[in-house]
Parts: sequence; structure tokens; C-alpha cells
Amino acid sequence: MSWFNRFANLFRRENVDAELDEELQFHFHERTRKNINAGMNAEVAQHDAMRRFGNPTLAKERAHEMNIVMSIETIGRDLSYALRSLRNSPGFTTVAILTLALGFAANTAVFTVVNGVLLRPLPFPEPGRLFLISYQSKQRTFENQPGLYDRDYLEYEKHNQAFERIATFNEDSATLTGAGDAAREPTAMVTSSFFSVLQVRSAMGRTFLPEEELKGNNHVAVLSDKIWHDRFGANPNILGKAITLDGMEYSVVGIMPPGFTFPHTPAFWLPLAVGADPGNTYIRPVVGRLRPSVSRQQALAELESFAQHQPPGPGERREDMIAEILPLNDLLVAKVRKSLLIFMGAVAFVLLIACANVANLLLMRGTVRQREIAVRNALGASRGRVIRQLLTESVLLALCGSIAGILLAIFGVRALLALAPAMGVPRLQEVHIDARVLTFAVALGAIMGILFGLVPALQATGNRIRDFLNLSGPTATARRQRLRSALVISEIALALILLSGAGLMLKSFMHMRTVDPGFRTENILTMTVDLPDSTYPTTPAIQAFHSRILEKLSSVPGIIDASAVNWMPLQPALVRGDFHLESGRKLPRGYVVAKPAVSPDYFRVMGIRVLQGRGFAGRDNTTAPSVAIVTQSVAKTLWPGEDPIGKRITLEDNPQAKDWLTIVGVVDDVRQQILTDQPQPAIYQPLQQVTRPFFLSHMSYVVRTAQSPQSVAAALRNVLQGVDPGQPVEIAALTDLVDANISETRFQTRLISTFSILALLLAAIGIYGVLAYAVTERKREIGIRMALGAKKSDVAFMLLKGTLVLVMAGVVLGGCGAVLLTRVLGKFLFEVRPTDPVTFLSVTAVLAVTGIIAGLLPAQRASTVDPVVALRSE
Amino acid sequence: MRSHTNDRLKGTLDLLVLTVLASRGKMHGFAITLQIEEISENVLRLEEGSLYPALHRMTQAGWLKSEWGLSDSNRRARYYAITAAGRKQLAEETQEWSQLTSAVARVLSLA
Repeated sequence: MSWFNRFANLFRRENVDAELDEELQFHFHERTRKNINAGMNAEVAQHDAMRRFGNPTLAKERAHEMNIVMSIETIGRDLSYALRSLRNSPGFTTVAILTLALGFAANTAVFTVVNGVLLRPLPFPEPGRLFLISYQSKQRTFENQPGLYDRDYLEYEKHNQAFERIATFNEDSATLTGAGDAAREPTAMVTSSFFSVLQVRSAMGRTFLPEEELKGNNHVAVLSDKIWHDRFGANPNILGKAITLDGMEYSVVGIMPPGFTFPHTPAFWLPLAVGADPGNTYIRPVVGRLRPSVSRQQALAELESFAQHQPPGPGERREDMIAEILPLNDLLVAKVRKSLLIFMGAVAFVLLIACANVANLLLMRGTVRQREIAVRNALGASRGRVIRQLLTESVLLALCGSIAGILLAIFGVRALLALAPAMGVPRLQEVHIDARVLTFAVALGAIMGILFGLVPALQATGNRIRDFLNLSGPTATARRQRLRSALVISEIALALILLSGAGLMLKSFMHMRTVDPGFRTENILTMTVDLPDSTYPTTPAIQAFHSRILEKLSSVPGIIDASAVNWMPLQPALVRGDFHLESGRKLPRGYVVAKPAVSPDYFRVMGIRVLQGRGFAGRDNTTAPSVAIVTQSVAKTLWPGEDPIGKRITLEDNPQAKDWLTIVGVVDDVRQQILTDQPQPAIYQPLQQVTRPFFLSHMSYVVRTAQSPQSVAAALRNVLQGVDPGQPVEIAALTDLVDANISETRFQTRLISTFSILALLLAAIGIYGVLAYAVTERKREIGIRMALGAKKSDVAFMLLKGTLVLVMAGVVLGGCGAVLLTRVLGKFLFEVRPTDPVTFLSVTAVLAVTGIIAGLLPAQRASTVDPVVALRSE
Repeated sequence: MRSHTNDRLKGTLDLLVLTVLASRGKMHGFAITLQIEEISENVLRLEEGSLYPALHRMTQAGWLKSEWGLSDSNRRARYYAITAAGRKQLAEETQEWSQLTSAVARVLSLA
């Protein structure tokens, strides 16, 4: 009786009511008995009974479902019913949850970053009272962070009433020696009030005393937890011991707790003395802790009245000066806020598309379930009651989606952080999934569940009961079809907006890739040093160092040419400033030039063309007359139509005789600071004639290599360590350094492209779903058409036409949206206008083709409908 | 003529069950199955399992009532009978069915 047992087991498998089991078993038993009476042997009889019965589990579950309808009364039952109902249609449930999971994962991942970077308060007590104080010119040439001139800081510290205390600081770097390999480490120079304004204490030891700002006492350092672990083995005995920074000894007075990394991620905090001398035009960020009773507006009013009495900076006009009180976080995030918010908007679109898809699925399911709903209505369930049940289901779906999304987002956040440019996004160490992120994801899930569940629920319950109990009424079908079309149109529109944004970013990125910086980047390796004053106190000592390095480099096999430049183009640091003409003529207002000092071979190594006169040569040394080379734009700006050769200029404000430089050549302009800016003017000086240590101690050696640049990296390291083992080794290929200029754009482009591809896919699934369903629903109509003589191709074309109408409507709507919305990308675009027609046309084409492909399959299936079968199916 | 499979009977199953019960009185599921097969001369052959969800649904809707009794073979079986609401429903469905079939017939004769 094994067959029978197995069959009976199926009945017993779940906890369903025993009566149903008994009823079905009775049927099975009777059929078997009848078969035996008809002359079959027992086994054949059972087999036949089973075959006739069909799927017993299905019958049982369906029957059970019909019974359960009556008993739903509480939310708990709603839930278990929703679970059962979702489990009973695994295909629908899987597709819906996967779709939602993708949407939620993207949103959760981006929100996690937004939360860590923008929303999470800085990890200080009462961070809401910490503000940046700024008074400076709007017209400054450099894109500056908020801050005060040192002299204003000193005055404001004395006179302000709004803040309990204020502090100023700046970021710097120093070479750490005597603790493993020499390395360049980030430092922060801070006033002694810095830690008490932020209200952070050291984990061990102490922070700075006011007298430690003064010269003679200022060789003290506070360590970050990270450097303490990485370089000093987390040894507590380091307190009171000396460490060597830039060749000078600093006594360790304290170690900060692990989480403290302000302003960025300094390894050491060193005391800062703010000088009051009149020549000091330093601007530093200033942070203050507001008194509890004072509002930000009051503080601003006080700052503005204070500013009335302060003179503007050199060359600045009072009307250009602006006083600001800004949240402290602005110091770190002002630059990334806009791009993060744009990403947030982009992923919100992805989620909306995903939800539209699920709403469509629910609409279709509503059609399938109309009988079930009608039965419940007939049994007296109110419309509200049934809507509540359907909403329970959609919210449950959304929550499953958001939980799956959170799991996916864990990987998503890792991927985001791995892709993010190292210097581009601040506070990355604080980015992780926390309670706020979880709340966000779950709340978003619940809201979206109600949002995309409500319309289908209203739709499914809105018609008169009789419509459902009878054969499906054509009006209800048409209405549902319209609603589904509207959803698909919005999906297409949203996808088009995202695609347009991605297209613009992509085009902009391509433009950036092809920008000619004005110099050669291939086969060039660079090595950068920062010579500390303590080891190299005099100009001759520094010059000797550079000469030795250059001399040794030129004999390294594999190096074609070796040269040096103090500030390489397209690097974060660049020295720019004004200069004076011998004729006494004033420079155009705000005209500044880069002032690189270079060795004679620099132009040859970098492939910068000498257009007029000559390049530098070995003879341009300390004893020879001082010379300079200007770029073409300098020559054109200052001496239009004249020969610049032989003209004299000086970079000094109070020049001596030897400070007058004679122009001996003109070279091409190169992009000095920002790849996407115009080439900037520069005045080059020969390295050997430069005397100020400031212009000499930071130096990059630039060598042209015969083979790949990395092939000589080891040789460069050996040369440097042969001359001074105390120097940290910083070697990089020039291509990588220049590439870092576009890493942020690359990241943004990748991200927005990923989102838009996701959107495109979801929209394609949406189009497919709606058409496939329309084909099923219109089978009878299609059958009639074919019976009346329509050809297969006519039917396919009719359905494709439907797709085209949807796509066109979506494209028109999305096009309008894109024109309005891609404007926000303006700041991020390079040589592409936010309304670039080529981009719009291309993405429209991509979307249209995708739409048609998604529509082809259902259309093809429709054309295979057998009219006889279709007409008899209802 | 080949036998029609169950899915083509979707929507008409209610009609068939109500008709059978209206003319024959109290019956259990298996008997209903046999009756439908017999009357239709085996043209309408049910996937037998699908009968039960329909019976339960119609019971919940109030068109049928059910009770347990003993079968001819002396086993416990659930018996179904049509209610007044069921008869009303039957009248409506019969009318709609004939409307539909005559409409389809007209279309077919035109095509």
C-alpha cells in the first residue's frame, strides 16, 4: 500500500483541519473502490484515482484558504494570512521582494553614507553649539574654507560675547623619523583652546597648556590613537618621551581616544601660536562653542558688527567681505553635500521605479484574486476590512524587501566606500549602518508598502461584488489596464531622467579623460620630498641636496632625463601669487600666476614647448644674472603685441637688484591646478637661482623613463635613501597623480550610471510585465481578431504599438523632468551643458530600444494565440 | 470529441455544481463528480481535486450548506445541498451563461 501511504501523507503533511483531510480521503477512497469494481487491480485503481484527483496539496490549500477567509479578525491573523498568501504564490513574492530589495539596498547604502557624513553629529559633546566663524572676501581666488584672518581671530577672541571660547587650527604635515621607516604624516596645528572648545579629553596624559603655544615651550605633541598603535606599539610609556618630527624633537604629552580624528585625520596635534605681526595674512578656520543662551543669529549679528571695525585683507574691498556663522560640519562636508544629495535623489528614483513595478504586480494579482475578494465581500467583510488585509500583505512585502535590502546594503556600503576617492569624502570612518539607518530603511519600507499597496487595494475592492463573481467585466479590465499603463509611463519617465543624468556625467567624464593637460604624462615617475628646516636649515644645504639627487638620478639606467620642480602641476598644493613689472605698470586686478622653480631639463621631461627665446640651462646659476620664463598667456596679457624677451619682472614686494628677473623665454601654458580649468599662467624660475627655503624645501623629482615608470621606482628609492635615509619615500607615476584629479568624477559617474542601469532594468521588467499580462487578459479579444482574419504580424504590431505609445508618453514626460532636473548637475559637468541634446537623444534611443525589446516577447507570444482555444477559454 | 480539461471549465464549475445539487438534492463531493461526468457523457471531466475549493468557497458564500453523514460504503462523508441563495445565484449564472454562449455563437457564425 505504499502508494496509498505516500498519498495519504500528503494530506497529513501540514496542520490543516482534519475534516478537510477526511473529506478528500473519502473522495480518493471512493474513486479507488469504483475502479476496482470496474475490474482494475488495486495498484492501477489507485494510480487512476490519483491522476484524476490532480494535485491534492493544491486542492487542500485552496479549500483551506476559502475557509480561512471567514476567520480573519485581527492583525495577527492578517499577518499570518498575508504570509500564507505570499507563500502560496512564490513566483510573485520572489519577484516583488527582489525588486524591492534592489531599490531598498541602493537607498539604504546611500543613506548610510549620507547619515555618516552629513547627518550624524560630530562626535563631540553638544555638537549643536559648535560653529565656524568666518569673515573673508567672497572674491578670493582660491576656493577657501571658512575662516578668519589671524589678526581678526585675535581681536574677536578678546571682544566677542557670543562664544564661550574659540579656537583656530590648520592642517599640515610632518616627517616622522625614528619610529620605523621615515614617513610623511598629517598633522594639525591647534591653539591650546582647541580641545576645550570641542570638549574632548585625552585618553592618556593631557592636551596643551596655554603657555605651550609660546616659542620654546611649543615642542610638545598629542598623538592620535591610530599612530600610537601603528608606530609606537600602543606603548603607554611613550608619554613624556620625545618623538622626531621634521628632524625636531617633540615631547609626547597626551594620546587622544580612538574616535577623535578632527579636523580630518591627523596623526599628531601640535601647538599653534597665532602671530599678531602686521604682515601675517594667514586665514585659518575658527571654531567656537556658543554660549547656551545665545542663538546663531545673535552670534552672526555680533560678528557682523565686529567686522565693521576690522579692515579688509590686502587688496580686498569691504563690500566683498562676508561674515558667516556656519555649522562646524560644513568645514568637512560643504563640498560633498550637493553630490551626496544628488545621489540620494537618484536612488529615490530607483526605489520609486521598483515600487511602481510591485504596484503593477499587485494590480495583476488583484485581478487574479478577485474571486477570493468577492467571496469575502459576499460574506460580509467590509471594504475597509479587505483593504486592510491587502495592505498588510503589501507592507509585509515591502518590509521583507527592506530587510533583504539592508542585507544587500551591507555589501553596497562596502562597495561604495571602496570606490569612493580617498580624499573626496570626509568622515568616511564614521560611515556604517546604525540605528538611524535601520529606522530609515524600515520606515521607508512601511511607507512604500502602504503607498504601492493602496492603489491596487482600492482598485481590487472598488468594484461591485457582482462584477467579480461573474466573468471578468470589461470596464474593470480597462480601468486596471489604464492604471498599469500610467505606472509604466512613470517608470519610463523616471528612468529617462536618471539615464539623462548618467549620460551627461558620462559625457563629461569622457571629456575630462581627453583633456590635454599641456604636458606629457606617460613614462614619467615622480618622487617628492619635504626637507625639514631642522636638517636643512640653509638654502645652500637644500640646493646641495637637490643637486646630489639630480646628479645620481641622471646616472640611473632606464632614466632618460631627470628634472625637478617645487610644485608639480595638478597637485593639491600650488603656490600662486602676484608679481611686479619693471615698468611700474599695475597687473590686472586679481591676476595671479603659479611660480614653479624648475631644473633646466624640466621642460624637456614634461614635453612643454619653448615657444620663444630659450629654456633654462645649467649656466643659469647663482652667479649668473637672474632670469625667468613666462608662459604664453602671461606674455599675451602683459605685453600684447610686444616681445616679452628682455622685459624685467620681480616676484618680491621690496626687490633688491638681484631680485629683478629678465625674461629669457616663453613656454606653453599648462593646466596648473585643476584639470578641468583653463591652463593657468605661470612664471618659472631656475631652481639654482631661487633663494627662499620655502620655495625649495618641497621638491618633486620628475624623471622620464625608457620603459614603464615603475621599472625605476626601486632605483629612485635607493638614490633618496643613499643621500638621506631620514626622508620618507613618496613615489608615484605622473599618470596616476593626474588621474587622481578625475577620481571624484569617475566615482560619481560610476555611481549614477549604476543607478540608472538599475532603473533601466526595472523599467524594462515593468514594461514586460504589463504587456505580458495584457496579452493574457486580452486573449479573447486577440482570438476574435484572429478569427476575423487578423494576421499574426498584425496582432504583434498592435501590441508593439501599445508599447510604443507607453514609451513615447514616458519619454515626453521624462524629457520634461530631465530638462528641469539635470540642471542640478551643472556644477559637476565639464564641457557639457545640462541640456545637451545629443545626450538626451541617445538616452531616449537607449530607453526606446529597451522598451521595444521588453515588449517584443509578449507581442510574439500574443501572435501565437490559437483563436479557437482563446475563444473557448472563457 | 476529446474531453475538456479542467481549466477550460473555470467559471462554469460553480454553475455545474449548483445545477447538479439543485436537481439531485444532498450529495457528497465524489457523487457530484460522478454526476457531472455522467450527465455530460464524459465530455466535462473535472480534475477532481479542484472541486473541493469550489465547494468550500460556495459553502462560505452561503450558496451551499454541508453536513457530515454516512455514505453507501458506510464511511463518514461530507454532504452538500443547495440553499435558497444558491438557487438565486444559479438563476443569475444560468442567464449570463446563455447570454455569453449565444454572443460567442453569433461571433463565430459571422467570422
